Formats: sequence, C-alpha cells, structure tokens
Amino acid sequence: MNNPEIESLLKKARLPEISEESLAMFPRRIVAGIQHNDPRGRAARNFSPRLAWAFGLVACIVIAFAVGHWRGLTENEMVHANDTLASVELVRETLAMFPNRIRAIVEDEHGLNLVLSDSDNVPVSAPIYIRICDGKHCSSLVTFSGQEIQIAGQKITVLSDARGGIILEGNKFVWSSTSRIYASGNLKIEAKPL
Amino acid sequence: MAGSNDESKLIEHSLSGDPEAYAALVAQHQIMIRAVTFRMTGSLDDAEELAQDAFLRAYRQLASFNNGSKFSTWLCKIAINLSLDWRRRERRRDDIHSEWAANAISENNPGGGFPDELSRRVQSALNHLPAKQRAAIVLTIYENQSHAEAAKMLGCTEATVSWRVFAARQKLKRLLKDLPHEQS
Repeated sequence: MNNPEIESLLKKARLPEISEESLAMFPRRIVAGIQHNDPRGRAARNFSPRLAWAFGLVACIVIAFAVGHWRGLTENEMVHANDTLASVELVRETLAMFPNRIRAIVEDEHGLNLVLSDSDNVPVSAPIYIRICDGKHCSSLVTFSGQEIQIAGQKITVLSDARGGIILEGNKFVWSSTSRIYASGNLKIEAKPL
Repeated sequence: MAGSNDESKLIEHSLSGDPEAYAALVAQHQIMIRAVTFRMTGSLDDAEELAQDAFLRAYRQLASFNNGSKFSTWLCKIAINLSLDWRRRERRRDDIHSEWAANAISENNPGGGFPDELSRRVQSALNHLPAKQRAAIVLTIYENQSHAEAAKMLGCTEATVSWRVFAARQKLKRLLKDLPHEQS
C-alpha cells in the first residue's frame, strides 16, 4: 500500500452519525455552560448566607491560628536573641572581668546589663541560666544561688540545691525546676545550671 | 442578535456578550470540531465532552482571536490541543484503562455506531497511534492542512510533523493492510 492508497483509505472512513437532536442541543449546552461559568452570575447564584457564615468561621480560625503562630515566632525570635547568655564562654569571660562582683548578667529588649555588687562579696558558685517570658517580653539572665534580682517586673530570689535543682521565688509565684510549681500562670520559665 | 450570518459579526456580537451569536458560531463549526475530537479520542462521549470544552475555552479566549485568521483554524487548534492534553491525562490516570479504551470499539462494541466496517477499522487503527502522530494525521489528512499549517497548530517544526505523518502512515499501513483499497 503506498501513500496515496493509505490516505484514500483513511478518507473513506466515515464517522458515527450524530443525531439531529444532539446537533440541535449542543449549541444550547455551550451557551448554558457559558452562562454557568460567568463569574458574575456564578457569584450571585452561589451566594448562601449559611455558606458565608461557614467561610467567615473558617477565616476567623485561620486568622487566629496565623496570629498565634506569629506570636509564637516572635517569642522564639526573642529566645534566639537572648541566647547570648547561653554561651558559657561569654559568661566566663564576663565573670572574669569583675571577680566576685557580678550578681547577674541580664539580657532583655534593651540589651545586656550587668548587675554588680558594691563590693566583691558575691560568693563563687555555679552560674545559673534563667529565661522568663511574660507573654509579651522575654528576659534572660545568668546569676547565682542566693541572689535577689529585679526581672519581669518583680523581685525574684534565685536558689539552687545540692542536686542542681533550681527554685525561683517571686512576689507572686514560686517556681521549681523539679516540680514546676507555679503560683502565677502567665510566666513561662526555664532555668538550668550553666 | 443582529441576525447576520457573517462570521466576524457573530464574533463581534459574542464578544459584546450576546450568547445567541455564539450559539450560531457553535452551530456552524460543531461538526468539524466534533469530528476532530472523535478522531482523537475514538469515543463519541469523550469527543462531545472535549468539543464542549473547546467551545467554552474558545469563548473565554475570544478576545484574543485575531480576525485576520480563520475562525475554524483557531477553533481546531484549541480542540486538538485539548485532545492532546486529554490523552496525557488519560495515560497518566491509568495506562490499562487507556489500552482498554483503545480496543473498546473493536472488541466490546462491534458496531461502535460506525456506518461500515471500514470506518470502524480505520478508527481502531487511529486509536493505536501515539497521540501526536494521530494529531498529525487528523490535521493533514482529515482537515487538509499542509505540514506547515499543522506544525504551527501543534507548536512544532514542519519537519517534526512530516516525520510524525511518515511514522503514522507506516503503522497504519501495517494495521490496515488486509482492507481492500484502490490501487493507484
């Protein structure tokens, strides 16, 4: 079979017959499809108060989730910013600069601050790293057992026991690293020997 | 609607939002488009669905139609490309189903709605061609387009179309060799 022969054969092939009814209905269906897909018409047809409420509810949940997530990120960013004090090397160097005088190294939104004693009477002990978040702000500090520090808007006494357990005592709360006792629920506290 | 059968007027009225004008355009071109989609799919149902999609897409893109070119050619381009996309989707969805679809006419539905055995055999052979080769045959043999026109429509070179037509002919000759044909 050569090329003209195969082409002739292909052209002889007829299509299944399409009914008159189908031919008549087809343009109508296209027009109906156009009207159905028209954005203005579709919006008007699809509007349902119940659906609108459902969309509103979903939108609120999404926004609440996004805000919570954003706040979480912000808080985490603060933690990262305050991680300077987690550096043992930096703390050692700072302590070496003011032997027995540093009561605390505090880092908050204003930066790093040293809390110094008037005289070199701060006893030598293992430094304790503390991070306190009150929901809006986070502060980190390195201090020692027995020190009384002003942080998160209140005076806090830091104590540690022989087994490395840490107790924080504030005006409105008591917190223990072993039992996680809270007297005030809005503070988020982390403490560990450095 | 203005009542005119002039194609450019119908296009103009369609663009201004007259659905009756577009219905008239559909009525004028539906047989050609449905033939193209049938040759590409081998199924009346799929062909009708693809033809419907082609006309709906053409309506959405009507503003981009260049009045200097033929409306039927523009429509055909949309239909053939939709058919090629359809073939890709079908292949991805299920190769076995596609194979079954290719054989459906000859095995499960001996008549297949075809007016004669030759027509049924030819479509069955077309169904066995790769989609791009089939598109090349549909455009050049059934739509009487030159290889250059088909290339433009398919977005490939003229040489590619010539090669696809050549390869398709070879396969069709093998598949249809037992059919009686006129000696040239």
